Amino acid sequence: MDISTLLTAVVAVVGVPLVLLGYIIGGEWVIERLPEKIQNTFRPYFWAAPGIGFASVFMLVPLAYSVVWSFQDDSLSKFVGWKNYIYFFTFPDTITSLKNSLLWLIFYTLGAVGLGLILAILVDRVKYEAIAKTAIFLPVPISAVAASIIWKFMFEYQAAGSTQTGTLNAGLGLVHHDPVAWLVDATTNNASLIFVGVWTAVGFCLVIISASLKAISSEVLEAARIDGANEFQIVRLIVTPLLWPTITVVGTTMIINALKTFDIVYVLTNGAYDTDVIATQMFRNLSNAHFGRAAAIGVILFITIIPLLIVNIRRFQQQEEQR
Amino acid sequence: MSQADATIARSEERATPISALSNWGYRLQRLPLHIVIIAFMAFWLIPTVGLLVNSFRQPADMANAGWWTALFPPHGFTLASYQQVLAIDGVPASIISSILITVPATVIQLTIATMAAYAFAWMKFPGRDIFFIVIVGLMVVPIQMTLIPLLKLFAVTGLAGTVVAVWLAHSGYGLPFEVFLLRNYLGGLPREIFESAEVDGAGHSVRFLRLAVPMTIPAIASLTIFVFLGIWNDLLVALTFLSGSPYKPFTVKITQLTTSLGYGWEFLTAAAVLQMALPLIVFIALQRYFVRGITSGSVKG
Amino acid sequence: MAVVLGKLGAKAVALTLGALFVFVTACGSSSSTPTQSATDVTVWTAWGGNELKAFQDVLKPFTAQTGIKVHISTVRDSSQLAINVDAGTTLPDIGLPPNVDKVQDWVSKGVMKPIETALGDQFQDYMTNTVSSLTTDQGGKSTNTQIYLVNGKHYGLFVKTQVKGLLWYDPKVYTGQAPATWNDLIAIDPAKYNAKSLFCTGIESGAASGWPAVDDFDNILMRQAGHDTYNNLIAGKVKFSDPQIKQAYQSLGQMFSASYGGKNTILTTNFGKAGDPMFKSPAGCLFLEQATFITSFFEQDNPGVKASTDYNFFPHPSMGNPAGDGNVNGFADSLVMYNDTPAARKLMQYVASKDAQQIWVNDGGTLAANKQVTYNDPISKAAFAVVQGAKNLEVTAGDFVPSDMQSAFWKSMLDYVNNPGGLDGILSHLDSVQKSAYSS
Repeated sequence: MDISTLLTAVVAVVGVPLVLLGYIIGGEWVIERLPEKIQNTFRPYFWAAPGIGFASVFMLVPLAYSVVWSFQDDSLSKFVGWKNYIYFFTFPDTITSLKNSLLWLIFYTLGAVGLGLILAILVDRVKYEAIAKTAIFLPVPISAVAASIIWKFMFEYQAAGSTQTGTLNAGLGLVHHDPVAWLVDATTNNASLIFVGVWTAVGFCLVIISASLKAISSEVLEAARIDGANEFQIVRLIVTPLLWPTITVVGTTMIINALKTFDIVYVLTNGAYDTDVIATQMFRNLSNAHFGRAAAIGVILFITIIPLLIVNIRRFQQQEEQR
Repeated sequence: MSQADATIARSEERATPISALSNWGYRLQRLPLHIVIIAFMAFWLIPTVGLLVNSFRQPADMANAGWWTALFPPHGFTLASYQQVLAIDGVPASIISSILITVPATVIQLTIATMAAYAFAWMKFPGRDIFFIVIVGLMVVPIQMTLIPLLKLFAVTGLAGTVVAVWLAHSGYGLPFEVFLLRNYLGGLPREIFESAEVDGAGHSVRFLRLAVPMTIPAIASLTIFVFLGIWNDLLVALTFLSGSPYKPFTVKITQLTTSLGYGWEFLTAAAVLQMALPLIVFIALQRYFVRGITSGSVKG
Repeated sequence: MAVVLGKLGAKAVALTLGALFVFVTACGSSSSTPTQSATDVTVWTAWGGNELKAFQDVLKPFTAQTGIKVHISTVRDSSQLAINVDAGTTLPDIGLPPNVDKVQDWVSKGVMKPIETALGDQFQDYMTNTVSSLTTDQGGKSTNTQIYLVNGKHYGLFVKTQVKGLLWYDPKVYTGQAPATWNDLIAIDPAKYNAKSLFCTGIESGAASGWPAVDDFDNILMRQAGHDTYNNLIAGKVKFSDPQIKQAYQSLGQMFSASYGGKNTILTTNFGKAGDPMFKSPAGCLFLEQATFITSFFEQDNPGVKASTDYNFFPHPSMGNPAGDGNVNGFADSLVMYNDTPAARKLMQYVASKDAQQIWVNDGGTLAANKQVTYNDPISKAAFAVVQGAKNLEVTAGDFVPSDMQSAFWKSMLDYVNNPGGLDGILSHLDSVQKSAYSS
């Protein structure tokens, strides 16, 4: 590691907060000496400027560029109209990636949120709840790269009749079932990849839903039990509706994750055997220098997420009104 | 419901059975519950345990038999994988790079985000809501869209291939969520404290630095862990900006450890364990903050 | 204010101490500075694992003699280079060549530097001592992007070669003669030699899965349909649905259906491990078709196996078309100089030398590009003889088509193994990819 990079790092870690500190203190010193009216108009922008500036430069501007480039060819100099979009919607490979992303959207979300909800309700009733939550949450901080390597060994396949080295196929062997080529077989591969995703996400959903669950007043539940409701009815008619806001928050986060999935597919199959998703398609086009196409795919991905954008904004506005 | 049923219902909630017989009946009823939960826990833990065990085995063993066989003698445990991985040129450097990338990027974005969040929470200005909606909206933008334009931007400004580029890119990506979360938190702080400080003559900088920030420390602490781990685990951004750079982080290095043709998966076990070690240690040591960080943004409001 | 500053001061001190700690530990690990022209060289190669180790062995004498430090990065494929070239960011001093469809573009942009410049007065030696099909176009043309020759100047330095399409076997198991033709090969009954199946095939290879099958296909096609058809396919001038191409796929299908473990094993077995069943008892299969580099994989996964006693090869049998018989599939690793620095030049000169390439050969599993290298084991000698005796040394089609075509080509093999009945659909899909890949 050369010294200059290390010094830069140290300078950044110490310097940036100090610079901002100086910015705030110095700026306020100047602002306070301005006439009152001007103060209040000027000050907010002054404070928000670094944040807004950063977001603009590193998110908004590139976004705009991407939209423009999606209408250009690979050298990003010639305008080609809708050609890239047409390519995306007519080429069999990209259509497959759209279909797979849809599968991810539905099953990853349902799996993570559904399992999270069920588990939250179940572990709430046992004394070792904390341990259970820790065990299930453990995959969450693991990187997708590490998770993929972990599951590579779970999915390993050896020819029928040979010793199985993969955990899942060994388990199948115990019940005298032939080994399955999880990542290769078209009937299982997408499901396998999605399951890896769910494995990394359930803990997240569990923790959040569990926190909300605890907030439900026990009096309500007790009253219901006294009135003769059984556990299933309680879950269906009381708990779930009360948890609904939390479920939607978690659900939208999961949907966004599903659509943006890259690491797991890239590391485990790189899209082979029809497991491609939108994000890996985009990266592949990027790597093959099809910049116009890659930009178009990015825009399409963004458009699929826009409904969630609107949901997020609506929720923000509702929260604002409550304030 | 009869008096007896009500008593039983209450005792179920308190988990104190009434008599020895109903004790066993009660436990049997709960058996499926326990089985389901414990089975689930086991199934969730097995994959990670499998990797851990495999990381201590010889490649030839791994090719011939599954990890569970190593639990019985002969074990054949060895540190060879770890030694090999750490001896590969560039691996220790990439671990240091991961730290060099993660720490400054975290610091930069959190300081900027806190400042901006305070402004959005406690200052009224025209366009505030619109700006905020835009920022919230940016949370869902797929980062793939920004990769090429940023690549070109960095090339033009001479930052290409440097860690600074990655700090800035990560900061840009993380800001929207952090501003959103911190603004919610800051907005929830008691108005009276700020008002009385203002009456006492404290300017905004004092109110921010001596009131807002200290009160926000719990949220910032949790968020820091989150952000830190997110950058530590990142693959795509580093893959795009630092693939060939000597400063590539560990995640990228791992994907490059196999030969050009995908051979050599066995060597990756130790590498993966090493990469996972930091997040797992952080999680286990700082569970409370971790969890709080996740729930604070979602459960509120 | 002072209190706040005091608090921040403490934090700053703590952070600085932390940074110092990182600094101290970092000093322990190797330094990787960006390029300094006379003392350091950055190299990007696709080699990892044991290939990389061999390269490091090759570099040891170089660094010892010249003191120049070589910083190697394993970069999967040239797409990363492509991204950097397009974005105008820094390139390594020496690196992999680009995909063949970019060669002329990069040369015209001045991105690739001529070997003539890199080798200086050693260039003539390089031309004389390197296998001629790697340095000169057989038809006398001044531009041949397959060997990185553009307008008479060379841009790729060849350092290692391989022969492909060799049929490996265990002499203790298969005691018969080398089959003269493909039909003879297919007709061999594995049970006669106590083996479970005729072939072992494994085509998994991470992101590049399918390439070993493309290699097998190439070896069939170049012999079955001949030199011109083969190269026309590479140039995109022959459709995939052409009867000759289809026939080659079908011949390949004969190998797949006679492979150990069936389609799932073919698809999930990494190419490096594909040969392992050959050495088990009872043997899983008789033959593995693969290039010369596979020998180091044999030895790594099956400790104790030795050349000639436990494994040997015979060349690819004839496909029944005499005109195609002299076509041999070889491939070569080459390096390109992207930044003309004194240290880079020295490194290029070194790897072109027979001493450097001798180390590569001694490490096993490869042949050299330099003709002066000596081969110590009979297998390498025999393999090099195949190279020398070839009428046409053909490149691997899968590596010399545009990148989109390459991905589709590799993938078509996976699909064909998975679903042999769907060949026509697979071929027409390849046609549409071909149309778009060669038009831009």
